[in-house]
Amino acid sequence: MAKPSNDTVQEQLPLPVPVFHMLLALSEGERHGYALKREILRRTNGKLNLAAGALYGSISRMLERGLIEESEERPDLHLDDERRRYYRITPLGRRVAQAEAVRMRQLVRLAENCLGLPGTA
Amino acid sequence: MTRIYRVLLKLYPARFREEYAEPMERQFSDEYREAWGRSGRAWLGLRALADVAVTAPAEIARELWQDLRYAARVYRQRSLVTALALAALALAIGATTGIFSVLNALLIRSLPFQAPERLVELSVNPMSVVQGRAAFRAWREGSPYLADAAVYATYEMNLSLTRESARVRVTETTANLLRMLGTEPEFGRGFTADEDIPGRDGVAVIGYGLWQQLFGGDPRALGSTIRVNGVPLTVVGVAPRTLDHPEKTAVWTPTIYDFERIPKAGAVRWHTIGRLKPGVSLAQGSGMFEAEVARAVAGLGRSRIQGLSYDAHLFSLRDRLAGPVRSASLVLMGIVVFVLLIACANLAHLLLSRTTERRQELAVRAALGASRARLMQQLVTEATVLTAAAAVAGMAVAHWTAVLAASAQPAQLSARQYTVLDWRVIGFALGLAVVTGIVFGVLPASLIGRMQPGQDVIRTQPGSSGSGASRMRGVLLAMQAALTVALAAGSFSMGRSFLRLLGADLAFRTDRVATLNVSLLGTRYQTESRERQYYGAALEQLRAVPGVESAAAVSYLPLISKMFMAGQFKLDSGEQGPPAVLIAASPGYFRTMGTEVVEGRELTESDQKGTERVIIISDDLERSFGRGPLLGRKLDLAWQGAPRMATIIGVVRSERYSGPLDQGGAQIFLPIQQSPPGFVTFVAKVRGNREPYLAVCRDAVQRTDRDVPVFDVKTLDQRLADTLARPRFYTTAILFLAGFALLLAVAGAYGVATYSIAQRTHEIGVRIAVGASPQRLRATLFRQSVLPVGAGMLAGVFGAAGLGRLLQHLIASAEPAGLWICAAAAFVLATSTAAAVWTATGRIVRMDATAALRVQ
Repeated sequence: MAKPSNDTVQEQLPLPVPVFHMLLALSEGERHGYALKREILRRTNGKLNLAAGALYGSISRMLERGLIEESEERPDLHLDDERRRYYRITPLGRRVAQAEAVRMRQLVRLAENCLGLPGTA
Repeated sequence: MTRIYRVLLKLYPARFREEYAEPMERQFSDEYREAWGRSGRAWLGLRALADVAVTAPAEIARELWQDLRYAARVYRQRSLVTALALAALALAIGATTGIFSVLNALLIRSLPFQAPERLVELSVNPMSVVQGRAAFRAWREGSPYLADAAVYATYEMNLSLTRESARVRVTETTANLLRMLGTEPEFGRGFTADEDIPGRDGVAVIGYGLWQQLFGGDPRALGSTIRVNGVPLTVVGVAPRTLDHPEKTAVWTPTIYDFERIPKAGAVRWHTIGRLKPGVSLAQGSGMFEAEVARAVAGLGRSRIQGLSYDAHLFSLRDRLAGPVRSASLVLMGIVVFVLLIACANLAHLLLSRTTERRQELAVRAALGASRARLMQQLVTEATVLTAAAAVAGMAVAHWTAVLAASAQPAQLSARQYTVLDWRVIGFALGLAVVTGIVFGVLPASLIGRMQPGQDVIRTQPGSSGSGASRMRGVLLAMQAALTVALAAGSFSMGRSFLRLLGADLAFRTDRVATLNVSLLGTRYQTESRERQYYGAALEQLRAVPGVESAAAVSYLPLISKMFMAGQFKLDSGEQGPPAVLIAASPGYFRTMGTEVVEGRELTESDQKGTERVIIISDDLERSFGRGPLLGRKLDLAWQGAPRMATIIGVVRSERYSGPLDQGGAQIFLPIQQSPPGFVTFVAKVRGNREPYLAVCRDAVQRTDRDVPVFDVKTLDQRLADTLARPRFYTTAILFLAGFALLLAVAGAYGVATYSIAQRTHEIGVRIAVGASPQRLRATLFRQSVLPVGAGMLAGVFGAAGLGRLLQHLIASAEPAGLWICAAAAFVLATSTAAAVWTATGRIVRMDATAALRVQ
């Protein structure tokens, strides 16, 4: 696959919070929709609870933008329902998530310089 | 709970639902299983509801946008077909909406009166004005079915205010008219109950428009004096903007019982309108009214009512005001809606059958997993885009239609002006767009909808399965052929009768004649000698205009007057003649009008007051006496009493006064110098182009006296065009609709033929491959396509007779189409259809069997 240009990455930013979380969760491995939702719930200590419409709405948009793709490989049929769809992050998705993180880092630095955040060294 | 959620999922658009409904449902049921207790589940339910409420619209918008972009691409690729479809739909939707705007103005929009549904017009005067105010009052107060009633008569009169002068419509009425209609003056007051008593009636309420025009909207208008035909009236009120009943009245005055107060000329017609009592229906009221009139007539005795018809009826004021436009518009509406339906069905077809690649594309998409709902959504979006665009363009057509309709048959009240800028009309157009969008989106969708994904990719001829669909196409074709033949026959016969109207010999010229009206009522020319003096001076001015070949004056000019002075007169030998109209004309009138003098001479300057009393009669009058040539004989012109003999010095051809439909009739022309009328129309025959002469001639007459308004300045051609405006409009409309239907029918037949060939390419290929002759195949297909058209045409010939009767609502002289006309219409349709289908089937001959077989 050709390397995504910097422009394609930049025009996707900033990412909506659920999308960023989903990309982060998928960067650790393929997951199906419901697992993704539960993983995000866990990571955010129950603060980000994606309902079905929001979850699959985001998934549909991410697929369309090429941030994630459906995985053709199914896990062992005995382990899971074959009808569940699994998603994995694409190289573009990975780069976009990275870029988002960089953007956030810059933002945090800016805030530190301006405000002097407590507890930071 | 899960079941409810499943129903909620249906709110998502097709594509999204297809992809995600299943995992979403699974997720919901997982969460449901894991939820704690009742409150947890309730919370989950609420959250799911909120989720759907937020995300479903977002997904719909997203898919709609995608569909729209796709639709735009599809249409761009087939821009010609799209443009044609768009134009046809815009015309059909526009024409329908335009006619609806007329119906809306006449029948739906409410009158600017209070409780207008209770207002009625009485066909006869139950208590004539002549019997006086007290009698009428007693009658209306004692009426068992009317809560109130008012009488009015309306005229065009000269209005003057110090400097300004104008020609306006003045309505003389009982004091209660405005109150009965339920309208309050914009400001000032209405008439008090006893202001219609002669002597107290020198007051007027003026219309809003006149107030703006004469007083510039100055409230000090109240209390000022206007002169109506020279009679001073004090303005006491200004009518609201919406009120101009009856007939665009600008001045109302309660002088109905004071007949002599305002001088007027010509015939008077008193109208009675009333308000039904609460609880009395129109039918009940009408019954009571008829019984009352019948009793009154019986009381009068036979002798006094001879020759008069007492056709007693109550009409709803709304219907009365709609007049003949009502039935004409309804007929047109019906025809237009039919054409629209045909247009939709046809276009659906055309768009579908033009492109087999589209079927393939859809079949491929179906095979790739697109559900029927999803394709349906796409097709309906495509259709809606097209019809919405057509509706927008159609509004322009609608506006144009309404303007045309208004010029042909203007609304009687300004509050009923035909306009497309009305929420009902716009709603109607939108509704039409949506309905046609669905008709013409769902129809193709249902035709492609039957496909079974697997099978279709293999065969690419999904439609060949449905014999039902092809039967429907046949019925559709036949129906449309029937309608087209009926319409075409109708339009031929209307066109023919219209041409006959145009070509009619009116016995006078209409080209190169300028006409100008003048009324001396209420001016300083009140005596006969002064009138004579004015007419002489004005004619002199007019004749002095360079380029004016001849000029004359006449009391009743053809194509203007609707009411005449008429009477029955005796020949010197004692025979009573038929009712004849009396017209005063100046010397040179017949020469100016180009009316042929059959015998004797034209009126000349020598026919003065004091010389021998002379007349010229029309040849119809001469004929109806049946006494041979009457030149030199005398006619007694006295209404009663001592004879007033006048010598017949000439016979002219009868002028057809009301236009081409008039049959001529008995006319008697008097020299204007011997019996000057209070009003005349000047006619001037000019050289060359007459338009520039209108202003010059008006100025010339105006120069005679600045205080005598010259009004209604037009060429005689324009007057003829005005007379023919209605038949012209309806004829054009029907011709246009028929042409449109013909085009659609031909396009439809072509489309169906192309479609069925495309469907059967494979089959045809096989046949040719095994040795069938392409020529014979072509003939077979040709027969199959033309057959339903033929059947429809037969039905259409019968339909034409029925339609002809309907068309008489539009143009009185239209005859039901005869056999020849039907045959001609059928011939036009048959040849054009045959040509179209023959062209379409040409592909078979050129078809290469191997290529055809390779289609799959």
